[in-house]
Amino acid sequence: MTPFMKINKILCLLLSVLIVYPGQAWAFQSHAAPEGIYVHQLAHIFFMAALCYLFWDIRRSSFPDRGWRFLQMFCVFMVLWNIVTFTGHLVGGFIDKGTFVTESGYFSTKIAGPINMTKMIYYFAKLDHIFSVPALFCLYLCLRSLYKASCKEEKA
Amino acid sequence: MNGLPMYPAYFTDMAGSLLIIVFSFLSLRYAYLLTKKQPDNFLWGFLFYFCATLAVFAISRAMGHLVKQVLFINGNNEQWRIVAPFSGGFNTLLMTSLAAVTIYYHKGIEGYRAIETKARSLKTANKKLKRTATQLYEMNLHLEEMVEDRTRELSASEKKFRNFFINSKDMVYFCDAEDRLVKINASGLKMLGYPISDPPPLTLHDIFHNEDDLDKYFEEIIANHFIKDLEVEFAMADGTIINILLSATAVYNDIGKFIGCEAIAKDLTRVKTMMSQLASSEKMASVGQMAAGVAHEINTPLGVILGYSQLLMDDFPPKTEEGQSLKVIERQTKTCRKIVADLLKFSRQVESAKEDISLNEVMTDVLAVSEHTLGMDHIRVHQDLAKDLKPIVGDAGKLRQVFINFINNAHHAMEEQGGGELFVSTRNLHDSMKVVATIQDTGHGIPDKVRSSIFDPFFTTKTVGKGTGLGLSVSYGIVHEHGGIIEVESPVVDKESGEIRPGTAFHVILPAAMDEPHVVKE
Ligand SMILES: Nc1ncnc2c1ncn2[C@@H]1O[C@H](COP(=O)(O)OP(=O)(O)OP(=O)(O)O)[C@@H](O)[C@H]1O
Ligand SMILES: [Mg+2]
Repeated sequence: MTPFMKINKILCLLLSVLIVYPGQAWAFQSHAAPEGIYVHQLAHIFFMAALCYLFWDIRRSSFPDRGWRFLQMFCVFMVLWNIVTFTGHLVGGFIDKGTFVTESGYFSTKIAGPINMTKMIYYFAKLDHIFSVPALFCLYLCLRSLYKASCKEEKA
Repeated sequence: MNGLPMYPAYFTDMAGSLLIIVFSFLSLRYAYLLTKKQPDNFLWGFLFYFCATLAVFAISRAMGHLVKQVLFINGNNEQWRIVAPFSGGFNTLLMTSLAAVTIYYHKGIEGYRAIETKARSLKTANKKLKRTATQLYEMNLHLEEMVEDRTRELSASEKKFRNFFINSKDMVYFCDAEDRLVKINASGLKMLGYPISDPPPLTLHDIFHNEDDLDKYFEEIIANHFIKDLEVEFAMADGTIINILLSATAVYNDIGKFIGCEAIAKDLTRVKTMMSQLASSEKMASVGQMAAGVAHEINTPLGVILGYSQLLMDDFPPKTEEGQSLKVIERQTKTCRKIVADLLKFSRQVESAKEDISLNEVMTDVLAVSEHTLGMDHIRVHQDLAKDLKPIVGDAGKLRQVFINFINNAHHAMEEQGGGELFVSTRNLHDSMKVVATIQDTGHGIPDKVRSSIFDPFFTTKTVGKGTGLGLSVSYGIVHEHGGIIEVESPVVDKESGEIRPGTAFHVILPAAMDEPHVVKE
């Protein structure tokens, strides 16, 4: 567990530093406007890669428990989610502010026509929870099943 | 087309964010429980950190989205512009962390695999061990059974030999190289008159009466390694000497060193007495035959002497000296004839009558005849005749003679001391279908050294003319003829009180008639 703890500590430290001194974080190098989105997109790719690796490794390990199947499903959904959000961000760059029309209040916001492929994709990407919620549900199922299995094993 | 309304997206966004928070925390809870349950499992550790990071990510993202939606709903678009980079940066960061954690997962999996393989190998090893243990157990069980069987057999055989040792009516003993009796059975101790429960330590020197016997014993043991039927004398605890027939075997240890011997000793005393009795009865038989011959030869000249002396007596009146002398000749010749007649009676197998008679009657007859003379010498007669005495088969006349002899002897034994008591009794011996008649006196008794000869013909301790020494031998012959025996006791040991009385008792033991209903001849 130690390596994780270390990593986590380092991450926590980094996080707190970034939260408390966001100004300083950017102090040494100037980061122009698109950098944020690039980093975010790279993070998506990185995350996706990690998920793929996890999926593959679970498959390789061929654990007998059903819980791991659920984790694999989680990976699949998460990868899909990554693709969707990545695409969403990508497409978001090509959509200008004028596309959104608000008539009366936020809920009346619409994507103005004519609807082209880009807008369609953007709209769809906005519904990324269609993938992330099942993914998390799968993760929940995974852990619950692993826990139950371990309980059963203990009893036996 | 009028454009796409965004509110379904907003709605999904809010609901989805909430659901994600819920699910991520539920997962985190289970991950936590798993780590609690098996803190050593790397996999659970990984999952826990994964879930934890994911939960933080979920919160950060979902909160971001929710805040965004709320701000937009309220129209605070400006504020969102300030918050948005933080939320976005945070999300990016957490996503990166999540990825990093996932990459690190392989570390966990490695550990887990190591544990798994170890556990599996342990499991197989355990299984193998179990199998071996079962085999071993079975073998053990079998072994136990085998040992049990062997022990049972051994103990059975041991018991057999032990029983032989304990129950043997002969003496069985083991002695060591120092001549100590290390083990001797109860019969042996009984034979030697030692207490069975706590015998004193004994050596061969204690039990051998003659040192010569012991020397011979060792000589033979050393020369032949065994002894067969050696006749020796053992000394009992009270000093009595018993005749023993001894067989022994030398015992050697593994290296051939003499460590002692085991022996069986048979008490020959009874056999010896029986043999001497047999010898004496044979002697009597031969003497009897000789006596019969002599008697027969003498009888004729005696008759001639008597006849001629009686003839001469006719010629000489009794008052004359010659007449007196002839009278003496006649009397002495008659005595001679009586002796000869007795002798013939003793030896000649005169066919005796075989009828059911009562010993009581014989006794009464005899006493009736002799009571008077006994009374004259102050001898009191005590009769104790059993009422239910069983009849015997025999010759009443001959038996009468037997008892007259005994009573006469008793009379003579008590005559000197000027009186005494005569006990006459009869009784049944219940356990052996026999009847006993006893004549007991309080006379001078029979000394040990003559006891063995009293039944010999012509044996007498009386002065010449007073006794011929034929009384008992004749009686012996008659009783023998009736299938009975005579036992002599002197001094007499009282059956009930055990006290020793001076005097002599003759027991005549005769077999009772087989068929009880036979009418007793009155
Ligand atoms: N009741 C007795 N008490 C003591 N001694 C006895 C008795 N009966 C027999 N004896 C001894 O046994 C001897 C042999 O007895 P046995 O009757 O054969 O001959 P006996 O009496 O001497 O002569 P007889 O031929 O006249 O009977 C006797 O001389 C006597 O010493
Ligand atoms: Mg006599």
